[in-house]
Amino acid sequence: MSRLAKNKLLAFAIVLVALQVILALGAPWFAPYDPMAQSIARRLKGPTVLNWLGTDQLGRDVLTRILYGYRTSLIACVLAVGVALLAGGTLGLMAAYYRGWLDRIIMRVMDVLFAFPVMLLAIGIIAVLGPHTYSAAAAIAVVYTPIFARLLRGPALVLCESEYVAGAKAIGASDKRIIFLHILPNLASVILVQTSLLLSAAILVEASLSFLGLGTQPPTPSLGLMLSEGRNFLQLSPWSAIFAGFAILFLSFGFNLLGDALRDTLDPRLRGQS
Amino acid sequence: MSRILLSRLIDLVVVLFGVSIIVFLMIRLIPGDAVAIMLGANTEITPERMAELNSRVGLDKPIVQQYLVWAGAALRGDFGTSLWTGRPVATEIITNLWPTLELTFLSLLIGAVLAVPVGCWMAQTRGSGMDVAMRIGAIAGLTIPSFWLGIVLILLFSAFVPGFSSLGYVPFSEDPFGNLQRMLLPSIALALPILANLSRLVRSAMLDALGQDYVRTARAKGLSERTVVYKHALRNALIPFLTSVGIMTGYLLGGAIVVEQVFAIPGLGRLILGAIAERNYPLIQATILVVTAGFVLVNFVVDFLYIVVDPRVRA
Amino acid sequence: MFRSVLRGAIGAGVMMAAMASASAQVLEIGLDNGPTGLDPHLITAFPSFMVVNGNIYEGLTAVDKDLKIIPGLAESWNVSTDGKTYTFKLRSGVKFHDGTDMTAEDVVSTIRRVQSKDIASPLASRLSAIDSAKAVDPQTVELTLKEPSAPLLSSLATIAIVPSEVETNKDILQKTPVGTGPFKFQEWQPNGFILLAKNDAYWQKGAPKLSGLKFNIVPESATRQVGLVNGQYALLPNIDAATALQLKGKPSVKLGETLDLAYMLIGMNVSKAPFDNPKVREAVNYAINRQEIVDAALFGAGVPGGPLSPALKSWALDVKEFPCYKPDPAKAQALLKEAGVAMPVTVTMNVLPRQDVKDIAQVVQEQLNKAGFKVELKNQEQGQFIQDWRNSNFDLFASINAGSPDPDEYFYRTFRTGGSTNVFKYSNPEIDQLLDKARTLSDQAARKTAYDQVQKTLACTGPVAHLTYGTLFSAMRDKLQGYDVMPNRSLSTLKNASY
Repeated sequence: MSRLAKNKLLAFAIVLVALQVILALGAPWFAPYDPMAQSIARRLKGPTVLNWLGTDQLGRDVLTRILYGYRTSLIACVLAVGVALLAGGTLGLMAAYYRGWLDRIIMRVMDVLFAFPVMLLAIGIIAVLGPHTYSAAAAIAVVYTPIFARLLRGPALVLCESEYVAGAKAIGASDKRIIFLHILPNLASVILVQTSLLLSAAILVEASLSFLGLGTQPPTPSLGLMLSEGRNFLQLSPWSAIFAGFAILFLSFGFNLLGDALRDTLDPRLRGQS
Repeated sequence: MSRILLSRLIDLVVVLFGVSIIVFLMIRLIPGDAVAIMLGANTEITPERMAELNSRVGLDKPIVQQYLVWAGAALRGDFGTSLWTGRPVATEIITNLWPTLELTFLSLLIGAVLAVPVGCWMAQTRGSGMDVAMRIGAIAGLTIPSFWLGIVLILLFSAFVPGFSSLGYVPFSEDPFGNLQRMLLPSIALALPILANLSRLVRSAMLDALGQDYVRTARAKGLSERTVVYKHALRNALIPFLTSVGIMTGYLLGGAIVVEQVFAIPGLGRLILGAIAERNYPLIQATILVVTAGFVLVNFVVDFLYIVVDPRVRA
Repeated sequence: MFRSVLRGAIGAGVMMAAMASASAQVLEIGLDNGPTGLDPHLITAFPSFMVVNGNIYEGLTAVDKDLKIIPGLAESWNVSTDGKTYTFKLRSGVKFHDGTDMTAEDVVSTIRRVQSKDIASPLASRLSAIDSAKAVDPQTVELTLKEPSAPLLSSLATIAIVPSEVETNKDILQKTPVGTGPFKFQEWQPNGFILLAKNDAYWQKGAPKLSGLKFNIVPESATRQVGLVNGQYALLPNIDAATALQLKGKPSVKLGETLDLAYMLIGMNVSKAPFDNPKVREAVNYAINRQEIVDAALFGAGVPGGPLSPALKSWALDVKEFPCYKPDPAKAQALLKEAGVAMPVTVTMNVLPRQDVKDIAQVVQEQLNKAGFKVELKNQEQGQFIQDWRNSNFDLFASINAGSPDPDEYFYRTFRTGGSTNVFKYSNPEIDQLLDKARTLSDQAARKTAYDQVQKTLACTGPVAHLTYGTLFSAMRDKLQGYDVMPNRSLSTLKNASY
C-alpha cells in the first residue's frame, strides 16, 4: 500500500475514534434527552423526528442511551485496558530487567492466567464480584494483564541485552532511569498498537458480558445491555437492538482499524501478525 | 527436540496445577452458597438439615483439605457428582462437550476453507481501491459481535426461509442432516471473525511469496508461476496460521458461550453459566478445568507443530 | 455451488419439518429455564412445577382452570361435622409408573414425608393442620386434624402422592421421579431437554392423547418465538405480555390467556429504618402508580392488584377499597414528612434477575424518586438474591411470587409473626389474630369478613406493596387442542390435549 493510502487510513481511523470518544465524553451535552426519562406512550417506536433512532421498551430515547452507552463502555474498557497495561507492563518489564527467579515466578503466574479462555475467566471473576460495570472492567483487566506482560517481556529482554542498555548500566544509571529513559520509549510503538487492538477486543468482551446479564446493569445505559434488552422485543421494534449492535461494531471497529493502521505506520515489520 | 518437548510438558503440568488452584479458590469466593440455592425459596429448613447439606457439598471442611480431596479424586478421573442431577460430573461434561466441539470445529473449518480463496483474491486486488475496502471489510468482520450476528441470522432465516430448523441440537449420529442444519447458522456467526483473520494471513503470505527469490527463480526456470506461488504462499501461511489457531480456539470457546445461549445449543458454555447460577461447585470446577486444559493442550500441540514446521525455532 | 447446497439443505429441511409434524405425537414445548430438580416435595421454582405438576404427579384433589377443587386421586371425600376428620375414598386401578398399585399406605407415607423435618419440604406448612393420617383400608385414607382447616382441600391439590418406599429418600425423586400422572419420566439432559413419555396405564380412559412431552430449554425469548413460528415448538407455556404481543397474529399460532395468580411485588424490610415506620410504607404505596406499571411493563395486559389476585373472585377485594392505591406523590411526601425521615429517603432495591421484574423495578424506581425517595437498583444474580431474601438482607426488593388458590396459604406463611416466608419480619397482633381465626372457620362468609380486614390492613401499611397481576399467556400452534392456560401455571390440562 502506498504511503499516502496508509496515512489516509490512519487519519480515517483517528477521526473515527476521536468522533466516538467526543460523542461519549460529551454525552450529557449532545444527548437530546435524559437517558432515564421514560415515556410509555412513545415506546418501541422506530426512528422519528423526535427520536432519531427510535425508543426502547420503556420509551427512552435510543440515541441518548447509545451516547451514554458509549460512555459506559469506553470508560469501563479504557479503565480495564489501562490497568492491564500498567500491571502487565510493570510485571513484564520487571521480569525482563531482573531475570532470574523473579522472572520465572512472574511469567509462570502470567502463563496460568493466560491459559484461561478470556470469556471463561471473565465470567468466573464476575461470579465472585457480582454483576456490575466495574466487575466487568476488573475481569477484563485481569484477563489482559498477562497479554501485556508477555508482549512486553520479549522486546524488553532484547533491549536489556543490547549494548545500549549495558552502556547505561556501566556509567551507573539507576534501574529506574534505565527503564523509563532507555527501555520504555523503545517499546512505545508496540504498546500503542497493542493497546488499541485490545481496546477493540475489550469492547466486544464488555458487550458480551452485558449481553449475558453479567456486566452493566439497568437502568445504567450500556450498549451490550441495550442489545440484550432489545432482543426481547425484536418483533415489536428491532430498532434499539439493531442500533446498539451497530454502535458496538463501530466502536470496536474504530479501535481495531486504528491499531492496524498504527502498526502499518509505526512498524511495517509487524504487519500480518494479529 | 525431545528435551524441548519434555520442558514444555513440565510447563504444561505446572500451568494446569496453577489453573486448578485458581479455579478452586475462585469458586469458594463466589458469594451465595450452593446449599442456600438448592433450597430456593424453601424456608422450612431445620439447622440440622442445613448442616447435613453443607457436609454433603463438602463446605464444612478447611479449604486446603477440600482442595486436596478434590484434586486427589480429579487426578483419578473422578470429578464427583452434580449437586442437582446427581449424575457423575464427567458424564455431564461429555454430554455437553460434543455440541461445543462440533460448533468450534465447524466454525474453524468454514473460516479456514473460505479464507484461502478470499485471501488470494485480496492479494490480487493489491494496490487498487479495493485493497482498502477489503481491509476495512476484514476488520469489520473481526469486530462484529457474534451474538448480534446470530440474532440477525435467526431473524433473516425465519423471515425468508420458513421451516428451517435453526434452533437446538440433535446429535449427528441420530440425524446427520438435522444436526448440520441446526449447526449452520451458529457456525457462520462464529466463523466470520475467523474468516476475516485467516484471509488476512493468506493475503500477506501471498504477497510475501510473490516477492520471494524462489518465485523469481521459478519464473526464470519457466515453471508455472501459479503453481509455485500457491504452493509456497500456502506453506508460508501455515506458520502464522498455526500460531493463530491457539488464539482462535480461545476466541471460539468464549464466543461459543454466548452463541450457544442464542441458539439454544446445550453445550459447555450453557453448562458453565447454568452451573455458576446454581452454584454447582463440582460441576463448575470440573468444567472450567476441562475447558481450560483443552485450551492449554491445543496451544501445546500448536507450539509443538510450530517447532516441527519451522526448523529455525529449534535452534 | 454454495448457494445450491444451501438451497438443497433448506428444501430438505422444510420437507423434514413437514414429515415430523405429520407423524410426531410428542409435544415439543419451549421453556425459558430448566428445572433444578424434580422432587415434587422439594421444588420451589416455576420450571420444575410446570414439568411435574399434573403431568408426572397428582394429588388427592386437583384444581380446574377456574381454580375450583375437583377430585384427583381421591374420587370422593367426607368431612366430619366438627371439621376435624377427613375421609378420602381413593380411585381404584391407579398405578405408579413403576407398575405398583397406588394405595392408602402411599398416601399416608406421602403426608409423613412432607411433614418430616428431615425432608424439610417447603410444602410442610400447608399440612400443618394435619395431626395424623391413617390407612383405613387400601382404598380409604382418614386424616385427623388438630383443628378445622378451611384451606386443606386446596392445599392437598399441591401435595403429590409418591410411592411409600421413597418416604425417607431425599435424592431419588430429584432425578428420577415416579408418580401416577399421565406422563412418565424418560430422560433429562440438563440445559437440553426433559422428555416425558405417555403413561399407558393411566387411570383416566382415553388420556393422555399425546405420546409424550418434550420440554426444550431455550433461554432466549427471540429464539423461542422463532421456534414456535417455524413449527419447531408447539407450545410456549406461561409467557409474558411482550412475548405474546409479538406472536399475536403470526400464521398458525394462537394465544390462550387467563389472569395470573402470580404477582409482582415490592418487599419492604420492616425490621429496620426506614420501613419499620408504617407511614413510610404507606408513602411507598401512594408513590407507586400501578396503572402505569401495567402499561409499561405488562403492555397493558394485566390489572393493578391488592394482596389477593383478582383471579380469586370469591376472596379478592376491589382495589378501589384501598385509598393508597390512588397515586399521589404529594401525599407520599407529606407522609414521609410526618414520619420524620430525612428526605430524600435513600434506599437500595434488590432486583430478581428476570426481564419483566427488571423493567418493573426501573419504572418503580422512577416513581419513587419523584415522591421523596432516592432508590438505587441492585441487580443481583439469582443465587445472591435468594440468599439476601432468605436472610432478610435488603431494604426493598422487587420480585414475582406465585400465588395460591386459598388466601390462607399465602397470608399465613408470609404475614403471620414468625411465618415461614415472612422475611420482612412483619409482626402485627391484629393480623395474627385474624389469620389464626380465619383458617379454622368453615363458614365462607365469616372467613371472607376476616380476610377482607386482612387485605385492607396489608394493602397500605403491610410489608409488601402488591403491584400488578398480569395476564398469563400461552402461545401454541393452531393444531394444539384441549390445552387450557391455568392461573397457577400448571400444565395439567395437557393430559386432555391433542396435537
